[in-house]
This record gives sequence, structure tokens and C-alpha cells, in this order.
Amino acid sequence: MKQDLKDQLNNLDELSRRQFVARTAKTALGVSILPLAGASPKVLAAGGGQAEHCIFFYMSGGMTHIDTFDPKPGTETGGNTKGISTGVAGVEIGHHLPGLAKRFKDIAVVRSMTQKTGDHRGGSYWMHTSYQPRATIVHPSMGPWAQTLLGKAHETLPDSVVIGGGGNHPGAGFFGPALAPLPIGDAERGVQNSELPRGVDERQFDKRLDLMNSFDEGFRSKFKTDEVSAYTQFYDETMNLMRSEDLETFKLTNEPDYQKKLQDYGNSRVGKGAMLAKRLVKSGIRFVEVQSGGWDMHNGIDGAMQTTGGALDKALSSLIDDLKAEGLFEKTLIVLGTEFGRTPKINANSGRDHHPRAFSTMFAGGGITGGQVYGKTDKLGIAVEEDPVDPRDFNATIAHALGLDLNKVVYAPSGRPFLVAGHKRDRATDRIITEGKPIPALFG
Amino acid sequence: MNRKKTKYMLAAVGALVLSVPSAFAEMRDWTSKDGKKLQAEFVGTQGAGNTAEVKLKLANGTIVNYPVSKLSELDRVFVKSSLPSDPAALAAEIDKLVLNKLRESYYGLRDDLAELAANKDLDNADKAKRKEEIEREMEMCKPNPLTTDEQFMRRIYLDIAGRIPTYNEAAHFLDSNDRNKRAALIDELLDTEAFAMRMYNFFSDLLRVREGVMMMANGDLKVDPYIEWIKQCMKDDKPFDQMVRDMMTAEGHIWDNPATGYIISDAGMRLCNVSNTFTIFLGTEITCAQCHDHPFEQVKQIDFYRMASFMGTTETRAGRGGMRMMDGPSDRQELARMSKILKDAGKLRMNDTIDRTIQDVMNSRRTLVNDTQNQKVALPHDYKYDNGEPNQKLRPAAYFGDTVNLEKHENPRAAFAEWLTSPGNPRFTVNIVNRLWKMAFGLGQIEPVYNIPGHLDGQAQNYELLSFLEALMQDVDFSIKDFLRVVYNTKTYQSEAETMTPSLTQVDNGTYHFPGPILRRMSAEQLWDSLVTLTTDNPEGMVRRGWEEYRELMHTDTTKLTTLAQIEAYKNKFRNIGRGLSNGEEMMMDRNAGRVGGETMVRASEMAQPQRPGHFLRMFGQSDKNLIENQFTAGSSPQVMALLNGTITNQVLSSPDAYLIKEVIYGPGRKGDKVDKIFLSVLGRMPTPDEARKASSGMRPSRSRNMSDRDRQAMEVKAIGDVVWALVNTREFMFIQ
Repeated sequence: MKQDLKDQLNNLDELSRRQFVARTAKTALGVSILPLAGASPKVLAAGGGQAEHCIFFYMSGGMTHIDTFDPKPGTETGGNTKGISTGVAGVEIGHHLPGLAKRFKDIAVVRSMTQKTGDHRGGSYWMHTSYQPRATIVHPSMGPWAQTLLGKAHETLPDSVVIGGGGNHPGAGFFGPALAPLPIGDAERGVQNSELPRGVDERQFDKRLDLMNSFDEGFRSKFKTDEVSAYTQFYDETMNLMRSEDLETFKLTNEPDYQKKLQDYGNSRVGKGAMLAKRLVKSGIRFVEVQSGGWDMHNGIDGAMQTTGGALDKALSSLIDDLKAEGLFEKTLIVLGTEFGRTPKINANSGRDHHPRAFSTMFAGGGITGGQVYGKTDKLGIAVEEDPVDPRDFNATIAHALGLDLNKVVYAPSGRPFLVAGHKRDRATDRIITEGKPIPALFG
Repeated sequence: MNRKKTKYMLAAVGALVLSVPSAFAEMRDWTSKDGKKLQAEFVGTQGAGNTAEVKLKLANGTIVNYPVSKLSELDRVFVKSSLPSDPAALAAEIDKLVLNKLRESYYGLRDDLAELAANKDLDNADKAKRKEEIEREMEMCKPNPLTTDEQFMRRIYLDIAGRIPTYNEAAHFLDSNDRNKRAALIDELLDTEAFAMRMYNFFSDLLRVREGVMMMANGDLKVDPYIEWIKQCMKDDKPFDQMVRDMMTAEGHIWDNPATGYIISDAGMRLCNVSNTFTIFLGTEITCAQCHDHPFEQVKQIDFYRMASFMGTTETRAGRGGMRMMDGPSDRQELARMSKILKDAGKLRMNDTIDRTIQDVMNSRRTLVNDTQNQKVALPHDYKYDNGEPNQKLRPAAYFGDTVNLEKHENPRAAFAEWLTSPGNPRFTVNIVNRLWKMAFGLGQIEPVYNIPGHLDGQAQNYELLSFLEALMQDVDFSIKDFLRVVYNTKTYQSEAETMTPSLTQVDNGTYHFPGPILRRMSAEQLWDSLVTLTTDNPEGMVRRGWEEYRELMHTDTTKLTTLAQIEAYKNKFRNIGRGLSNGEEMMMDRNAGRVGGETMVRASEMAQPQRPGHFLRMFGQSDKNLIENQFTAGSSPQVMALLNGTITNQVLSSPDAYLIKEVIYGPGRKGDKVDKIFLSVLGRMPTPDEARKASSGMRPSRSRNMSDRDRQAMEVKAIGDVVWALVNTREFMFIQ
């Protein structure tokens, strides 16, 4: 049955695929559509497609650009953030990021991000999905997009994981719960409920399973519906996962030299998230998002930057070193994103407010050419002066690095067409094409 | 028993051609709607609902049939009083329509099978495959056997009360010798609090009822009145069309008019609200037409904007500057004044100058549904068709159904509400009956339920049945209770669940004809509420705290709050709206209210709407309430891990405070009844001898002489916990048989 579905899907042209998907949703029997393994090949053009994995650092709250990657020392908006040398002539970044300054040859900074929404939820949604929020649909985030366009990356492990996420992550959107990223609340605690509860040993667990199976025998042999079988399969798979080596990958404390690494990465949430992300990527998981808060710096920005900025610097620097040491850097894209920047003008509470007009993001590894800055803001950091990049371009860049087909149309169950980096209608051909465009300069 | 018995009358019973006692048979004058007259004797009726016919005997002895719907009002009343009023009879009519379709389908398939051998276009392998398909479908054309009392009981509790029966409820029903006990149970359950909770869950998924609707400024509007209003509508059995009209026409603040919650849910997203209204109440997807002419359906982009223009003068926010108190200071001034008092007392955060709670109060005051003279809907700036100009404003108009006369109504919105719910709207009734049918049977007569085609004939699984249901709903004056009463009394519903999954082709071609309901996984709420049932003797005992204080607070003249203590007390009360539980008599603000084994175990409808992500309910598919019908029943590894290793199965259900554990250990009955009690409580059935043996061997803990009573009891609890754990982890528990 499963193989049938896959084959059917692969053989369908676009319109029939759309009808097929709609019909599948139509049955509404709850068994989600299966991942489309090998649905389309990677797009290797123009330096893209080198990344097999992506670690997406999402700084929720709105990361100040002037105090991180786009410092304006000595101007009226610069505040107390000084610039430090990156080794690239004429390029400085904020003094809260000394580790990244040292590794600047490996990273590319985008200083010309811009978008239109000053509210956290709307901005975060746009950055994650390339679409503005609507009350009629939820758009998928990048991990599930990659799984849909490329097929599943690993047999037993999930394709995407979100570490430390809040409640507003768009997840798999209209792709449905089967493709939803596995949520991990606390990097140190790993997958929720994956271990036997306190006071229950293997023997008792086996006894319980034995009882369960014998009580359920009659029902399972009578009702052979897809949904019942799917649940039985989930039980089998989960049991396998619980007993497999795979689960080990989620146990942060099993990292060799854990205590020392903890010091390197910084004993912070983002640091632990970064370390866990590295473990997951090493095991074959494709897309890991690490969410980290504390960036909504309406007051006392200097103090906040010391802790939050400092933690981020350590986490990213150690991750770059670690991935290099493990030989994963070239095939792992590191991305740093946020919903918006912060006002150049420092407010009465020594903080900065929401500023969607200009902000910064960062890319590294996975085929990215480091040691460069793309785009430019004016001298006070208020507006973008050169090469504006909006959230759709930002996602197009990630998608391009992963080798996703930006022009592949995917239909939601309602029949509406969507693309990974947003869409528009091409006037010349009347076809739906991508709205977002990758930043070519980042791919050398 | 049936307070609305008389309402069933118009949906006539086809099979039963009523013989009228001869004493009453006499020649009388009949008049049709268009004034034609006829002398005839009343013989009986045939058919149902809008296709019902009256049988008339003419003077020459011939009997003619005439549609009831074409009779004059007077004659219709005459016929109506002669029709049976029993839900069971109407249920039998549904069964007959289902059976007809099953039979027709079966013979059709048999013919297909016979012709298959002669088919020259197929090779042998294809023929074999096709044969298998046909045979499988034929199998699904045989009505399933009737459910046992145990199966029926569990299913009807889950469907009407939204949860499994408690041990006592189960024992009571199964012990009863009343021949009519199924119908009696249906009636009883429809009048419970539990029914309102269950239907609230259904509607909150459809209407996307979520706590904290974001206001245009920051902060969330508290929507408790709307939540409780929906439950109250279910309790009062408010006619569904009236309920919809209330929502569409509601004006004012949510604490004065809770039905405004519907329009407020889409505050700031006017066009989305129109699309959503179509999906929810008409089962019609017109979102496409927001951007372009619909590719498949007969709906043009301009139609969408004409429809949207009905809502174009409705606002969810008071005019600029906020609502002023009569001659008083503005909200902004009030906010500044109270914040300053708090600030001076050191009650604000170091760098803040305004108080966020007071700000929420002021924003809440500004959030209200009102109508203006200003049409805000216009064609998009890049409108590309010839039938309109970019940015053109349109006169509101409907592209199907009745023609709307705007002049007759107070505002365009009221006209729209009338059009939406009018009997002349071909989709309003079909939509709700199709959705309710799906709730009971797991599959709609038309799928997907949100995309009802323009022409129903040939699209619906069973057109005759759907028409009957439509007429039934109108005849019971949109009473959801009475409609469901009939549906649940059908043999079709009371048959065993289908053991196979209907194929996509079957669903698509409309050839699944309900030999019984589809086997469904419990919804997240049914699952949760069933677990609650295992932990407390009165699952409906704890409810959300009322919201009366909300209204009082919002009507308080804040200018009278002049001292720090007054302002803080006010803030505190405001913050507590929607928090806490009530046991029906008193407020329980205690954090331990409703807690068993460390978790709050009260019904889903009485908890946060929706629950936080990561909560058991969300993991098992509770909707996030952002989208229409966004719940899911698909499985996942996190679900399985939660059942295997999570707190519910390991701490809550085996807690010494859990109702089931107490009932099993201390309840009346013999020792040997323990396993029966557990099975009856969890699965709603008795164990087989084999199961009983396995379970009790698991429950007999090693007994050492040195063991204290306390330890012995702890061991017993643990052993019972193992059996409960095993049963809750079965597919049988999770599915509705």
C-alpha cells in the first residue's frame, strides 16, 4: 500500500498530483500522506546543493543589528557597541562577537535584510515560511519543505527537529503532522518520554507490553484498517527507536568530553542547542532549528548583549570549529536569522525597539563563501542602502544551498499552489514562479 | 421524553404508508400552492421531507400522489398532523435509504463483475486486480451486523457525551432489561452537560475558538463569554440557523454580546473572514477567488469581492481615539493616569512607563463589532479582468442562492446573515447535516466537507439520503439535538464499525454507502476526556470559572479608581478572568483543583483553549484553533512515547487518588470482580476468560507474610496499574468500534 502510494505520486503530472493530494485529504481518515522519497533530484546549479544539512539558529525577539553584525561605532545610533576587526579589510563587527570576528573567513554576513512586519509573530512567521500569516492556511517551514522536495533523509530519525522552540512555530503547515519537526524543549533532556518512567524496569515494561498485545489481539485481527495498522506500526517503530542507537544521538551528555565541550560552547541554552544540533546532524538529520530568546531588548541593551550576544558568539564559534573537526562543515549550512532588527535610536530605557526596515543575518558552511559582507545599510543603520534581501530571498538562499527546486509547485490540500520561497505569477508565461531569489554572491 | 416530538412531523415516513382510520376518511377540498383545486379522500403519505407525497383517492377510485411541498399552507398543516412523530420511524427511513443504496450498489458491482470476463481491454493480471477490488467493494455493500450493547454503549457515550462511560454508568446500562434502553440512553445523554462539552469541542474546531484573540495593538482579548456562549447554545439547543445569525449580526463588546466572538476572531483580516464564513457555514471554498477566477467552480474573482462587500462596512475596532466615556477623559489619558500611580508606587518594571494590564483593558474596550457607512472592500489594485476596475468599490451581491434586497436590512451584514441562513440558500443546511453526519459516521456524505459542489446529484454518496437529512434538519427547526437523536437511533449508526478502510476511489466516486460507521480514532478531546473519566467519579464536576466578573469589570468607571489599592485590585481581578475552575458552586483558584497524580484532569472543554503545544491534547491532535477543522487523528512517535512512558499512563491513572483505582480496590463487589471492573471501565466490555486469566495473574502480587498492609496495597495498586496501562495502550481503547 505504502509503496503504491509513493509510486502513484511520483508518476503523476502536476494537475493529477493536485487532484490526488486533494483526494487523499478527502478521505480524511487520518493516515498522513507518506514522504515522497526521491521526488526530485537536488538542484546543483550555481554553487547550490552542497549542503546536506542545515542548522538554523533563530534569534527570537528581534536581534539588534547595530550591536551584532552591523555596528555603527561613533555615530549617534552606535550606542556603546564598538567595532572589532575581522581580518577582512574595512569590515568590522560588534565587539560582543569576538569569536566570530576571528572566524570571519568562514562566515558571510547579510546586512541588508528588510521586511514589513513589526510584530513578533508575523515577522517570525514570514521568516520561517516566506509567506505572511493568513487565517485560512498555515504554510510549512523549511525542514518539512526539504523533506517534501528531496525525500526523507534518514530511515528512522525524523527529518527535522526544533530545539527550544515556542508555541508559534509553523511546523509542517499544510504538509500535515507526519512531517512536523520533532520538538525538543530542553537540549539537555532530549526527546520527551523516550525513556522508561521512574520505577518501571525493563521486566515490568515487557510484562505490560505482553498484556497489551494479548488484550488487543482480538481487535487488531478484526479491524484491519489502514489507521489501526498505522498505529501498530508506530508502536513498533517507537519501540525500535527506544531501543536503538538512534536515540543515543539525542543524549547530549553522551557527547565525548562533554564537560569540556560545555565550556567551549558556553553553558547556555543556545550553546547546548548548538552542541545537540551538531550531534543530530552527524547522525543524519537534515534540518535542525535552534531557537534562542532574550533578543527583545527594549531596555538595558548593553547588559543584555553581554549575556545573550556573548552566549551566541561562543555557541556559533564552537560549532564552526566542531563541524570542521568532524569534517561536516562543508556539507552543513549554518544560518542565523531573526524576525527584525532593532531601532537605531536608543530609547528612554536604554534599549532599542522593533525595527523591520533593516536587520542582519549570517550564513556559514555548506557551500557558502565566507569572509564577506553582502548588502549595506545607511550610516546610521536605519534603512537598507544596497542589495535589499527580504525573507523570501533569505529562504531562497537556504533552499538553494540545500539544492531544493525553487520553482517546484506544491499544492496544499485545498488546491492552492505554494513554493518554498514564496510565489508570484510570471507575467510573460502566466506560470507560477518563485518570488524569492538566492543571493548569488554567497555561493562564490 | 422528547420535548420536541411534534417537530418531527413534516419529515414524513416513506415506507410507512399510513392508513388513516376510515372514520376520518372523507372527501375534502385540496388546494395547491398555485391555487389549483381538487376533491379527494386522504389515504396516506409516502416519501419524506421535501420529496414527501400525499396519497389522494379521487372520486373515481384512482389514487394519485401529490408532492406535499406543493400543497397550500392549510393542506400542509392538515397532512402534517397525520404524520408520525417518532424519531425511531424517521431513523428507519434513513436506514431504508441506506439499504436501497447498498443494494443498488451491490447489484451494480455484481454486473461489473459479470462483464469483467468479457472485457478485452484488460489483460489477465489487470482483471484479477479489478476482480479483487470489486469483490472488496461488494463486501462493503453488505450491512454490518448490529452492535452488541457493549459496543453501542461505548460508541454512543463517546459520540454524545464525548467520553467513555464511567464504571457505574456502564454497569447501569448493561444491567438494564428495558427493551427500549438504547433510545432511552440517547435521550438521556443528549440532555447532559457532557453533550454541551462534546459539541463545544466540535464547534470550537470548526469556528477556531481560541483564548486570547490578538488585538490590533499588542495584547490578547479575553474571549470567555464566547466560549461559554457556544456551550450554552448547545445546552439550550438553540436552533443552528439562529446561532449563525446571532454570530453574523452580533454588535458591541464581547462581554455584552458574546456572539461577537465569531467576527472578532478574524479581526483585521476581513477577506479571510469572508472565506472562512463560506467554508464553515456553506462548505464552500472560495479562497481562490480572492486572487483570481476560480479555476473549477463557477465563481469569479468579482463574485468574491461582491460577497466580501457585505462585510465591508463592519469594523472590529472603535473609531480612532477610542470610545470616550461621556464627557470623561480618553482611554489614553486614563491609561497614563493609572500607570503613573503604579509607577510612583514602584509597581512598574524599571524602564516601563505604562502598565500592560491596564493597557489590555483599554485595548479590550476598543475592540468591538460595529457597522459604519464606509465600504472598506474594493477590487484589488492589480485587478486584471474586464468586468471591473482596480480599486473599484462594489455593491454587495450574492452569486448564488436568493437575490439579496439590501434596502430591507439595517446594514449589508444583516442582509448577508439572512441570505446565508435562508432556506433558499442551497448549501447552508446541506453543510451542517453533512458535517454532523461525518461526526457520527467518520465520513461525510460529501467529501471533502469544505468543498460541496454546486450540483449535488451524482456527487453525494447518497443523494436521496442527503436530501432527506436536509429536509429533516429543516423540519426539526435546526435543532441539533433532535437531528442527532434521529441519526443515533438508526440501525445504520448502531451497526458494527467497518473493518476495512474505504478506498480512495470509493470515497471519490461516492460508492461507500455506510454499511456501518467508519472505524474512527478518538479525537484528542474524546481521548483526553476518557482518561479524565478514569480518574474522577464525576468527569463533568469541574468546569471553567464563569465570566460574570468580566462584564462587571469592563463596565466599571475606571475614573473612580484613584488609589493604588483600588487599581491593583482591579488589575488582579482582570488578570484572573478565565483562570481557575469551579465545582459548580464555588470558585477553585487553588492550583490543586482538579489535579490527580500531578496533572490537571478536567474535561478538555474546561481547560485552556487550545492547550499549550506539547500538552497531551495537542500531541494527539487537538486543533491549534488557527485554522478551520485543524484537528488530526494521525499517529506519531511522540504520542506512542507519551502513552508508554508519560505521566498520564504511569502516574495519573495509577495514582491512589484515581477514581478507577479506588473503585477497584475499595468499591463494592467481590474480589474476583476486579478485572471485570477494569475492563468495563477502560474498554466498556467484559474480559474474555483468557483475558481475565492473564489480567488477574498480573494482578496477584507476591504476598510475603512480612509485608505491611501499606506495602501490600502499594503493590496491588502497581499491579492494577499494569493492567490499566496495558488496556489504555491498546488500539481497542483508542478507536471507536
